[in-house]
Amino acid sequence: MDFPSFSLDTSLLEEANQPDPEITYDLLILGGGPAAMSAAVYASRKMMNLAIITKDFGGQVRETSEVENWLGFQSINAKDLADSFEEHVKSFDIPVSLGRVITEVKKQGDTFTVWTDDGTVYSSRTVILSTGKRHRPLNVPGEQELVGRGLAYCATCDAPFFRRKKVVVAGGGNSAFTTVLDLVKVEAEVILINFIRGWQADGPLQERVEQTSTVSMLDYHQIVKIEGKDKVTGVVIKNRETEKQKKLETDGVFVEIGLLPNNQSVKNLVELNDQGEVIVDCSSQTSVQGLYGAGDVTTVPHKQIVIAAGEGAKAALSAYNYLINKSLL
Amino acid sequence: MGMLKDKDRNKVTNLFKQIDNDVTILMFTQETECQHCEMTRKMLEEVSGLSDRISLEVHDFVAEADLAKKYGVDKIPATVLLGDKDYGIRFYGVPAGYEFNVLIQDIRDVGKRDPGLSEAVTAELAKIDEPVHLQVIISPT
Repeated sequence: MDFPSFSLDTSLLEEANQPDPEITYDLLILGGGPAAMSAAVYASRKMMNLAIITKDFGGQVRETSEVENWLGFQSINAKDLADSFEEHVKSFDIPVSLGRVITEVKKQGDTFTVWTDDGTVYSSRTVILSTGKRHRPLNVPGEQELVGRGLAYCATCDAPFFRRKKVVVAGGGNSAFTTVLDLVKVEAEVILINFIRGWQADGPLQERVEQTSTVSMLDYHQIVKIEGKDKVTGVVIKNRETEKQKKLETDGVFVEIGLLPNNQSVKNLVELNDQGEVIVDCSSQTSVQGLYGAGDVTTVPHKQIVIAAGEGAKAALSAYNYLINKSLL
Repeated sequence: MGMLKDKDRNKVTNLFKQIDNDVTILMFTQETECQHCEMTRKMLEEVSGLSDRISLEVHDFVAEADLAKKYGVDKIPATVLLGDKDYGIRFYGVPAGYEFNVLIQDIRDVGKRDPGLSEAVTAELAKIDEPVHLQVIISPT
């Protein structure tokens, strides 16, 4: 008997080649966002022997919904864009260690050694650090315990869970305002709380939020505690002007107070700026010969997908030139 | 003609080479099979034939009500994956479409006796001291 409309999808069963710890690669790419994926494409086309170590593919692109500034597309679904990047990279059959966190990078002689959280050690002559950024936490009581239980860092991922609920958003920049608008779309009642004095979001975003009757804005206030046992039930906030505290009942808290660079694996190796970003020159070179940086983890300003992709390409070509100049390719 | 395309059959067969312990699949249907029961049974017959480590037992939900009750099966088609013990893995409905990936990965994990979780996650889960009933409800689109 035939079964119409019956399909058996095996797409997740594809297992990429694993990097070989016995090999000294020409290049190891650390990370899986646009910078890393672009670097992988450029390095592959230069026939470099490379491998990728990453927790996942797509990076922060997967946390947004639509991208309206990727050249050639007036608007493109962010997941589709990330999927197309990933598909492009996988077309080169590059060994990938997926799901791994990089714990340390060291340089011994002319060789880099890279440790991952499962204890595996990989070797390479050059490294591109493109590990991106992660969400900055509030660091208040209750936050760590309630992550995923009403406390979230990604509106694109979690806003739909708060349909017609009461939600607090921490932050005052573009990310916080975009989060508010995502929550307004699901008819949530939102209180926006800004720690520093004055909103930092772009004018048009502020105007759209200010015109929304279901949003309250509290400037120069601080969240001092998140309450709830199994799920978020409220927050304690403090007016930084009067020092007075009060409790707000809420079903959720979205934290949008900026990002921290994922520099843990190189902080003892390479020069960082005061924000912890890896210092690179215009050739993506870090303070360590053979170690290149690309994307949001670096000091390059304007954290944008198109800029990260360009930086990744540049880092790969710089790594290639470095190996050519040292007669290692 | 099987349900799996040649390319997919090879992919699943290769993945099943990782299995080094026996896996038993219990499938509950009934004498007069519903369309989805027949689809599930035929799919499992094909899948179980791709490794010597996998055996399939097809049971009658009505005639073997006690067995169904033993495994907590209250609707069909039902698929139960067993290794050295019952890990509590159940699929209700046809594990087709995207969920076919999950079925195959679960058979592999049971066959390896290893869910592929990190030590940190395993240690965290070990702290759970009461039964937890997890249900993932999916849409066919």
